[in-house]
Amino acid sequence: MIAVETVNLRVWYDNKEVLKGVSLKIPENVCFAIMGPSGCGKSTFLRTLNRIIELNENARVEGDVLLFGKSVFKMDVVEVRRQIGMVFQIPNPFPHMSIYDNVALGVKFNRLARSKRELDEIVEWALKKSALWDEVKDRLKERASSLSGGQMQRLCIARALAMKPKVLLMDEPTANLDPVSANKIEELIDELKRELTIVIVTHSPAQASRVSDYVAFLYMGELIEVGRTEEVFENPKNELTERYLTGRMG
Amino acid sequence: MKDRFKIFLLPVSSIVFGIFLLMLTVFLIASLPIFEKEGLSIYTTNVWKAVEGGEEFYGVLSAIYGSVYTSVVALIIALPLSIGFAVFVIDYVPAKFKEILIILTDIMAGLPTILYGIWGAFVLVPILRDYVMKPLYDHLSFVPLFSYPPTTGYSYLSAGVLLAIMVTPFASAIIREAYRMIPRVYREGVYALGLTRYEATKVLVGYIKPAIVAGTLLAFGRAVGETVAVSLVVGNTFNIHPSLFAPGYTISSLIANQFGNAFIYRYMPSALFASGLALFVIGLIVNVLGLMVLRRWRYA
Amino acid sequence: MLRKIKEKLFLLGITIATVLTILPLFHIILSVILNGLPVLLERGLAFLTDTVAPPGDGLGGIGPAIVGTFVLTFLASLMGLPIAILTGIFSAEYPNSLIGRATKTLLMIMMEFPTILVGLFVMDIMVIPMGRYSAVAGALALAIVMMPYVAVYTEQALREIPRIYREGAFALGLSRAIVVFRILMGMARKGILTGVLIGIAKVAGETAPLLFTAGGSYRVYFAGLDRPIGAIPLLIYDLVQQPYENYHQIAWGASLVLMLIFLAIFLPIRLSIKEVKM
Repeated sequence: MIAVETVNLRVWYDNKEVLKGVSLKIPENVCFAIMGPSGCGKSTFLRTLNRIIELNENARVEGDVLLFGKSVFKMDVVEVRRQIGMVFQIPNPFPHMSIYDNVALGVKFNRLARSKRELDEIVEWALKKSALWDEVKDRLKERASSLSGGQMQRLCIARALAMKPKVLLMDEPTANLDPVSANKIEELIDELKRELTIVIVTHSPAQASRVSDYVAFLYMGELIEVGRTEEVFENPKNELTERYLTGRMG
Repeated sequence: MKDRFKIFLLPVSSIVFGIFLLMLTVFLIASLPIFEKEGLSIYTTNVWKAVEGGEEFYGVLSAIYGSVYTSVVALIIALPLSIGFAVFVIDYVPAKFKEILIILTDIMAGLPTILYGIWGAFVLVPILRDYVMKPLYDHLSFVPLFSYPPTTGYSYLSAGVLLAIMVTPFASAIIREAYRMIPRVYREGVYALGLTRYEATKVLVGYIKPAIVAGTLLAFGRAVGETVAVSLVVGNTFNIHPSLFAPGYTISSLIANQFGNAFIYRYMPSALFASGLALFVIGLIVNVLGLMVLRRWRYA
Repeated sequence: MLRKIKEKLFLLGITIATVLTILPLFHIILSVILNGLPVLLERGLAFLTDTVAPPGDGLGGIGPAIVGTFVLTFLASLMGLPIAILTGIFSAEYPNSLIGRATKTLLMIMMEFPTILVGLFVMDIMVIPMGRYSAVAGALALAIVMMPYVAVYTEQALREIPRIYREGAFALGLSRAIVVFRILMGMARKGILTGVLIGIAKVAGETAPLLFTAGGSYRVYFAGLDRPIGAIPLLIYDLVQQPYENYHQIAWGASLVLMLIFLAIFLPIRLSIKEVKM
């Protein structure tokens, strides 16, 4: 089944077209990587999927995004974001809240837990899923700002997972982490994709080849190539893709 | 997309607009009787005939004159001080003392104005009278500016000096901020030309001229609206005199002084509202201009 | 040579400018202490609790004015803060909308508005219809003076939050109200609190808006919200204009109290942040 499908997706910032008609099908329960040089529109693409792009008043979107066949633009925006979790490039747990509250936040306000006990269970489940539980189980009441960068990023993953989303968007989640922490996140992706669809944006072909099942290559706002990861990497059909993969393009 | 949050906030934030518009309306309506009776003479004559039950006539020209006079005196003093202070703090003070100096001026900008008032009335006025006005009057009384005998010391000069002390920290904060934000390349470029610090500073201060204009306008707005401190030192006399040492009125001190017993007269409240309206308009124009200059400069 | 002399004169000039800018502050503080402290020492705590002495006869105290300042400041906060904070949120959340921009501009203008005019305004809409000066009228005038400060500080505090946190909050599927009230305001609480305290420090020292609204009351402690009420700045203003020596002494004592209250609120805020606007 197709989890996310974009239909001729176009995005403008003011009058500058940054996404020029991208149509993609992302299957369920895979890790789907979007790669390309900086400024190619990959991050914009990701932000359109959960409509977070609408926070930018200068952005204009045309085309459609289908979530399990339903247009996200016809759904309630809150519902869209409940079903599509997101992890950002810079770890952004809310620094003034405790570790526990950071994870519980979305669940609480979207009323996904019926009791305090159920909430506790969800938080524990999410922290275990994000491989953070053992490190923080004794300090759940501490401020999130006391964590290391890698821990913060896993906390953000837990925060998204706690809402039991069907799709998880990851915008260069390891870009600001040290290699060890980055490694942990990549292992986590491997685990998680059994249960949900992950769309990850990365500027590193190496990372795309390590974590993804499918990969799409964007260049200057256009979709150049898409396919199973090993096929694209072993046998790129487009010359641009080949140049990018072999490191001859920035 | 219906934004319920916006719909919820809109009425609350429109309260501020409501207050502002209501204020303007109140001043206009309350001024009407005196306009109907005297026309613009309320602004163009210097008469204060308050007669219970008799023929009243009011002209607040002396107060308008005093407001402008004292504010101009204040700015003539405050402007060089605030530029000098800004340059000194940014370029010449070691980092440790910089913060202290800025904190001190911030305290000055926020200090309750009545404290300036009591200090002005009991401390500043005698000092100015004995050490500035008297010597100048004794030797230079043929100059119109110094031609009024400084018996009490309550005068345009006292009000101007006190206002200068009060608005310098404020004007200097605006200028300082602008001076600090001059791009480093520009600053280095000027020094690279082999200029002395005086010459370089002159160029750099020229660069932030719009911020200085804005600071001047906004400081004028503050000075013209200041009430209690001024009313304690300006002398509160209906007077249009060229001399710095003469007592006078300002619009705000006129209101502060006369409004308490205005209601026993038929037209005095309206006359005072009309003078308030003048202050309203002057303040609005000066502040809007100041903010516009500042904004345009910041985005340029 | 001439260049060197100019350089020296320039340095001298800006040094003098700096000294002249700061000097009055020390002179004021010193004058207030030298004149006010003896009064406080002579009367002790009674100065803070007693009522004003009769003309020409002793000192008494400024109890009702102190109570009045606290009551007025509290009431003004009650009226002004919610509106101010919500207005600040509005202009922070909708900075590009026409109303958002207009709100911001209006707030900046009202910050610089002559406060005596606010007093006159409230007199017209409240004191005249009610037939007397009152605590509510004074508090309303102060609330109007306070609002733009608090709103502008709130707006700035919210705008300073990195975009990434807004996005993170919205990505959790939270409504705008929850994002703003539960998350962004929590993160901006220090900036908002600063604005609130600056607003309070500002109105606690205001005189002009109270002249024709609060009315003043120096013999009677709080008599009711619809009755005249005193305030320390108002008391000082009235006493300075009296011809009695003992009243001038009381005014100095009251000035010291007012200065201490102001510094007690203002200094901690100022020392904990980089820049203030007053």
